[in-house]
Amino acid sequence: MHLQLDHIRKTFGAVTALDDISFTATAPEFICLLGPSGCGKTTLLRLIAGLSAPDSGNMRLDGLELARIPARQRGFGIVFQAYSLFPNMTVAANVGYGLRIRGVPADAVKARVAALLDLVQLAHLAARYPFELSGGQQQRVALARAVAVDPKLLLLDEPLSALDAKVRLELRAELRDLQQRLGILTLMVTHDQEEALSLADRIVCMQAGRIAQIGTPDDLYHRPASRFVAEFVGLSNLIELESVRRLAPKLLDGAAPGHVACIRPEDVTIISGGSGAQVHQVEFLGSVSRLHLDWTGGRLIAEQPGRTTLAAGSAVAVELRRCTWVREA
Amino acid sequence: MGARGVMTLALPWRRVDADRLFLAVCLLVPLAALGLFFVYPLATIVLRSVSEPGGGYGLGNYARILGAQTFWRAAAHSLVMSGAVTALAVLFGLLVAFALTRCKIPGRALIAGAVALPLIAPSLVQGLGLIFLLGRNGLVSRVFGEVNIYGLSGLVIANGLYALPQAALIIAAALRSADARVYEAAEVLGAPGWRQFLDITLPNIKFGLLSAAFVVFTVTITDFGNAATIGGDYSLLATEIYNQVVGQMNFNLGAVVGIMLLLPTILAFYLERVAAQRQLGMMSEAALPLVPTFTPRRDIPVGIAAALVALLPLLVVGVVVYGSFVWLWPYRFDLTLRHYAVKVAGGYDPLWTTVEISALAALAGTVLIFALGIALVRLPRNVAKPIYFVCMLPASVPGLVLGLAYIFAFNAPGTPLAFLYGTAALIAICNAVHYWTQGFLTTMTGLRRVPATLEESAACLGAALPRVVRDVVGPSIAPTLVSVFFFLFTQSMVTLSAVIFLVTASVSVASVSIMRLDEAGFVSQAAAYATCTMVIVVVAMGMMQLCLRLVQRRR
Repeated sequence: MHLQLDHIRKTFGAVTALDDISFTATAPEFICLLGPSGCGKTTLLRLIAGLSAPDSGNMRLDGLELARIPARQRGFGIVFQAYSLFPNMTVAANVGYGLRIRGVPADAVKARVAALLDLVQLAHLAARYPFELSGGQQQRVALARAVAVDPKLLLLDEPLSALDAKVRLELRAELRDLQQRLGILTLMVTHDQEEALSLADRIVCMQAGRIAQIGTPDDLYHRPASRFVAEFVGLSNLIELESVRRLAPKLLDGAAPGHVACIRPEDVTIISGGSGAQVHQVEFLGSVSRLHLDWTGGRLIAEQPGRTTLAAGSAVAVELRRCTWVREA
Repeated sequence: MGARGVMTLALPWRRVDADRLFLAVCLLVPLAALGLFFVYPLATIVLRSVSEPGGGYGLGNYARILGAQTFWRAAAHSLVMSGAVTALAVLFGLLVAFALTRCKIPGRALIAGAVALPLIAPSLVQGLGLIFLLGRNGLVSRVFGEVNIYGLSGLVIANGLYALPQAALIIAAALRSADARVYEAAEVLGAPGWRQFLDITLPNIKFGLLSAAFVVFTVTITDFGNAATIGGDYSLLATEIYNQVVGQMNFNLGAVVGIMLLLPTILAFYLERVAAQRQLGMMSEAALPLVPTFTPRRDIPVGIAAALVALLPLLVVGVVVYGSFVWLWPYRFDLTLRHYAVKVAGGYDPLWTTVEISALAALAGTVLIFALGIALVRLPRNVAKPIYFVCMLPASVPGLVLGLAYIFAFNAPGTPLAFLYGTAALIAICNAVHYWTQGFLTTMTGLRRVPATLEESAACLGAALPRVVRDVVGPSIAPTLVSVFFFLFTQSMVTLSAVIFLVTASVSVASVSIMRLDEAGFVSQAAAYATCTMVIVVVAMGMMQLCLRLVQRRR
């Protein structure tokens, strides 16, 4: 399966929701559409699903133009954030619904549903109704229902956002596992950069209806294309060219006008007992300690593994080991 | 995953057209019905109001009506009566609604049931009850001497009882949308109960109060049942229309008075819609429901007052039921069934006709409204909006005006639709149109509560539109449709104002029989007939509960 989007544009009245969106994806890739709320990522997913139509641009799946094919004939699987199981049907009936629509014989439906419920470890709940299930269980059923019809494309609209933190982590791993096993081309919308980094083969990072950057999680974290991506993906210290020239001239390699230096917290080395900076606040996060520093060049965030002996008020020196120069806008 | 390849079954292309066809039928059939049975009759009544007796068009009818003192007296009487009822019903409605939603008192269900009684009774029952109590041969009159209940005071009480449940329902709905967190914040800030009421409760329900006021004003200024039974010599616009048309055969003058009656109700209705929309914007999704705790200083006086208010409809409706079994009111209180042998033309035939008419109206109305709703939620906003507007109009057209319009549209010589006049089917259609708006609004609210993602999930799984409606939308909205069906049924059972113009010697309805019996002086028989009607309505409400339980089993 090969999905190709060319110059997709969508407006709602005077608002441009999507502007010149182009990218391609090939099975068995896991693509995350990442961005803050209102960036157009859900709109894009709905266009691909066929739930609304673009104003202009082309969408092709294996060379077949999708524009005139309604959602119900695209044969895609979709999972929404919440409340999308049919409340009047049992778990088994929900999972088998797409198969029954396609006229699959009852025996085959039954066998396939049983296999899928095994896969998501919910075989014992087959006869229950959705309201008797926890949020995590409901999303597993929704996932099984979406993949039951062997979709050409799996579309996930923030499927984990309504769940508790712990369930979210569990299901995140299961989701990745299932997708790898089935080898389905998958597009997932999320606003959670950590989720995108951990799940995706490639991330499409969006800003105000446009694509800010497309790349692997490693690309986005270590080589962000713009200030927006650097700030949205992970924590970063963004330092103006002037300050770098004055305080850390050895980082100037690659500097250009209109760019700022992006320094990740783990690339800030703290030398206790030095001078030039003062600890403002210490956050203990378990595996790392995050330090907020008042530095001559401004506020800096640094991270050290494990515990730290430093406390608010300690005087320290800092060394900036590495940076990436990113576009201001 | 052994079953790969099952899905190579292609989904056929032509379904797209089938979906369009299905949507078109869902849209066009109800629209055609509204056009033929609502817009067209209304257009004819406007036309008739400007038709000169000698042929041609002009404003002569208006000049004659506006020049007549009887019209101005009736208009002034109507405004005074409806204004007084509105003030009283909103005040007592607020009291009852507050007691039901914000106080922890025993017997809330009893109070709610008693106040709601007039809703299940033909609108003449309040008048009948007052006559039994306060009329020339009333119980109270016998003990305390003659009271003249016929006239303004009787009208205000009877219409007040009729309007009270509607006001209380609207205000209770507004009171229920409260957010407990706001009151907790006020409590922590040290605001006493009465300050919370003035500063939080009242501002929050002001649109509910306005809405209740408009609804009460509209239903009472257009009411015919009470005006006919207890109005006496106090002429009202509603009785004026009836007299012009039935008494003096002045159809065109009747049309003019009808249009005059349309004006205040359309205005009130428009203001009410504006208020309702403002109210909608204030709700918060994260609101926590308010659970009242027992506060003696508030709950004891409010509870007693609400119970006293609830006693009145219980007394008035109860005395009608009791009176129907009494040998000779108020002289001989032996119990008897002799009044149930009614002497009006047709006996109980009109009652069974009414049941058939009501079932037909409910079925046709529910199906058409549901179909239209299915189509409307899928149409672009700018197309849906005018249709929405047309669907709001029936509520602002008084029943009398609608009935009169039906005469002009379906009883005029030469219309191809004349065959409908005098049939039970036309009365059923008239009722479905008359109560269209309330059913429509309820259905749209229900449809909007079906999560969009449910329908989208079904569509992505390959379901065509009729299948989405059957498998997903239908089951979700079944409780709403059951409510709409029984709402239309019970309203059709008890309505009088529109159907009064549509009955004939062979096809008549229960409420008309009650009116005729009362007019002929057989008050006890009228009470017996009303009791039979109420029994059927109560049975229908019981069936509704049964149906609701059945469709809600899995929720």
